[in-house]
Amino acid sequence: MPPGATSKGIVLAETADARFRKLFSIEGGNFQAAGSVSKQIKMILKQLSIDNDLIWRAMIVAYEAEMNAVLYASSCEVTLSVSTRCVSLQFKDRGPGIPDIGLAMTEGYSTATREMRERGFGAGLGLPNMKKTADRFHIESVVGEGTTLQMELDLP
Amino acid sequence: MGAQDSFHSIKIDEQRCIGCVTCMHACPVKAIRIRNGKASVFKHDLCIDCGECLRVCPVQAVQSMTSKVVELTQFKIKVALPSPVLYAQYSDATTPNDILLALHKLGFDHVYDMALSCEMVLIAMEEYLNRMTDVRPIISNYCPAVVRLILKNYPNLMDRVIPIEVPREVAAKQIRKSLAAEMNVDPTEIGIFHLTPCPAKLISIQKPIGVERSNLDDAIAIRDIYIPLLNALKEVGDEDLILQKSSGVGISWATSRSNVGGLPQHRSLTVRGLEEVIHILDQVEAGKLTDIDYLECAACPGGCVGGPLVVQNRHVATAHVDTLIEQYGVRTRLDRRKILRSYEENYLIPGLHRKTRAVSNEQVDLVKALEIMNQVEETIGRLPGMNCGACGAPDCRTLAEDIAAGDAVLTDCVFMKIKELEDEVEGHRRKS
Repeated sequence: MPPGATSKGIVLAETADARFRKLFSIEGGNFQAAGSVSKQIKMILKQLSIDNDLIWRAMIVAYEAEMNAVLYASSCEVTLSVSTRCVSLQFKDRGPGIPDIGLAMTEGYSTATREMRERGFGAGLGLPNMKKTADRFHIESVVGEGTTLQMELDLP
Repeated sequence: MGAQDSFHSIKIDEQRCIGCVTCMHACPVKAIRIRNGKASVFKHDLCIDCGECLRVCPVQAVQSMTSKVVELTQFKIKVALPSPVLYAQYSDATTPNDILLALHKLGFDHVYDMALSCEMVLIAMEEYLNRMTDVRPIISNYCPAVVRLILKNYPNLMDRVIPIEVPREVAAKQIRKSLAAEMNVDPTEIGIFHLTPCPAKLISIQKPIGVERSNLDDAIAIRDIYIPLLNALKEVGDEDLILQKSSGVGISWATSRSNVGGLPQHRSLTVRGLEEVIHILDQVEAGKLTDIDYLECAACPGGCVGGPLVVQNRHVATAHVDTLIEQYGVRTRLDRRKILRSYEENYLIPGLHRKTRAVSNEQVDLVKALEIMNQVEETIGRLPGMNCGACGAPDCRTLAEDIAAGDAVLTDCVFMKIKELEDEVEGHRRKS
């Protein structure tokens, strides 16, 4: 694992525990579609009658991750996995990658460009927020290839 | 509850309905289905009473459950509480005072300038925003369709809905109390009627959220009172009686702009139209827009002047409202301190958030739900994905969900039916 990466024991990476799995694609730079993947994830979790509080936290992390993908990556594959114990989200993108993950996880640090800030982004709270909101958070990245985020939320 | 569960502010007249799918596609929460060539609100629990179906129906088969004027005879004393939208329905030459006087001539014993209550509520809202500083944005509550949308689809945001009484309720409560004393009648002998631009206000009266009962009795659609009022206006001369007490501050609520002359120290954002409201609520749910203090959401385009039960074109009505704001100014004549003295008693809705938090999902077998979800995804893969509505569901995904729930079958889809028949024909051919 690259230095600075955090891992708190991911329960579902690619396991057979997941009883439901669905894949989504995010197109980098496509602001029109931005938010549509988190919306679809919400619809599914709602249909499953998942606890409202969990849905809310899932929305916060999914939206944050989706916006990062739109802003920075050229493309991103999202996997939603649901087991009887937790909801797992994986965002695996193709993009510039993150050179210093420790720095990226610091609150207030932002690489947002001026255009991004004009759109309201760039508070530097995205990644730290995801880590705080999810029960388990894992990030790894290869510069020049891309970043993978894995987040899990436990069912009550 | 019980039979009341299926009561909505609209009703689909089967005789007039031609089963054309327009209302089904317009419904923002996918509550409508077409069965046997007729539309109905099949998914009662999903309906938020926004009235979009009523708005778009090309044959006026969707009717409002609001009352007609002639039906109001059971009350000894009848009070009219017109939405400020009514002030913008006629020509520029007709003043709000003219309208209030004309309503008297229609048989209402008492008529009240509800726009003034809007100004009172604005002061109470500002007080709430000053006291409650850790939740942002706070969301408006006067559009019943938006409140129901949040309750059903964004339950986590119910905590943000401002727990301040809406103007029509504030007005009705005060009037009922003072009229009962003044005229020496029992409060139940007073009938208080809201003259409304939309069916949603009716549902807030018949099935209110967070309170036991509404202070109003019923609602009348503006379009059902338009002509009688037009005739009554002809009889209004230069009378001395001044019934209008509001300024532009209250009248601006007709276009859902409560920050005219109010909330000077708070950042407010106004969003009108359901699709837009849904979009903005998605943002709020994702943790955005925290720099906005007050988020005003109205289901209808242009605000309340764009309600489905109005007569005047909403752009013309908006221009009229702007003229009225200029004419009557942006300063309320109310004494702020007087309003605040009765803040807790008259304006704050006690325990609203606590009461509405109970609307959560019942215990569900997750294993079964996951199995069903897999079925749904598999079925979607088989359906054409055209969202044509011919099956009676608004889109292919919803049909797949209905099939999994046992409310529909795969061959409800015209394309699946054709395939089934083709396979059958092919089967016969092979045999012979």
